Amino acid sequence: MKKNSIIFSTLALMFIFSTAALEAEKLVSTKTHFKFYSHTAVEDIEANNYAALGTIDPESGAVIFSVPMQGFEFEKALMQKHFNSGNFLNTKKFPKAKLKGQITNLDEIDFKTDGTYPAMVEGDLNIKGVSQQIKEKGTISVKGNQVTVDSKFNITLADYKITFVKGKPSTNVAKTVEVTVKAEF
Amino acid sequence: MNPKKKKILKIAAILIVIGLLAGGGTILYLFNMPHRNVQNTSTDFKLSNSQLVSEYLQNEAAANEKYLAEDGDSKVLEIIGTVKKINDDFKGQKVILLQNKADEAGVRCSFTKESSNHLSSIQIGDMLTIKGVIRSGVSYDPDLELYENAILEKCDLIK
Repeated sequence: MKKNSIIFSTLALMFIFSTAALEAEKLVSTKTHFKFYSHTAVEDIEANNYAALGTIDPESGAVIFSVPMQGFEFEKALMQKHFNSGNFLNTKKFPKAKLKGQITNLDEIDFKTDGTYPAMVEGDLNIKGVSQQIKEKGTISVKGNQVTVDSKFNITLADYKITFVKGKPSTNVAKTVEVTVKAEF
Repeated sequence: MNPKKKKILKIAAILIVIGLLAGGGTILYLFNMPHRNVQNTSTDFKLSNSQLVSEYLQNEAAANEKYLAEDGDSKVLEIIGTVKKINDDFKGQKVILLQNKADEAGVRCSFTKESSNHLSSIQIGDMLTIKGVIRSGVSYDPDLELYENAILEKCDLIK
């Protein structure tokens, strides 16, 4: 009898720990949308990417996104070639951009209760091998088992050593580009 | 004006006009150049999902050198593999993950809105050949604590 109760309590403990381990698991998103938007008086340019991979750790607040740079699609093929080329984003040498951030107001976000929570993220954004500190706002929406992240922020291309000194790109590409992020976890 | 000079002028004028037309045409073409049609492009490499994954995990730099192009028109691959997952992306395109059970990572294939229609009868476990352009390779990311799949886009089924 005693033996049975030991087995039972061991099993119960194992069950508790395994669910706790499950809850602590990172959220993974493969359904994402990254958009670059550049506005100048001459023209508006947009590029879209649907192939990034992201994780959020609800315990630690770590937010990571890895973005395959050759996945950005432009309306015009020539723009896409320019974007990828060695002079601009050099995507052959730097195939991925990475956002490595930390939610700074984690205590205000409840991943287990439906709702929309403003999130502050601080960390590093690495594009073309250049890392810059970022501090941006976003929204985390929880609905049932689904967590959705939305954010919109600006990046200054020169910070990442992306510069256009002459020709069409220097007049038609904005110095500051708006980045829109959406991800479903 | 003597006839010889007149003739030279005439030829020069014609050459200038041809030059302008050709130059203007080239600029117009470049500016409005259509995207490469991946499905109409001949396949550069035909291999299994496991082969591509192990090539990348053995030497990522060498694989990037082999498969990625500087202008973004990277190699067109035909990948043979088993369907592990079927999803939709935010563009409304179907995404198929080809991955073997024993492998750490697979090949994530995004179809186009049009070619997504070819997948209505596809199920998990099916063996498929998918053609598409490679966007990025396989690697382990210590921050994500995950293996990242290779990414193929503009995909379609090869019958």
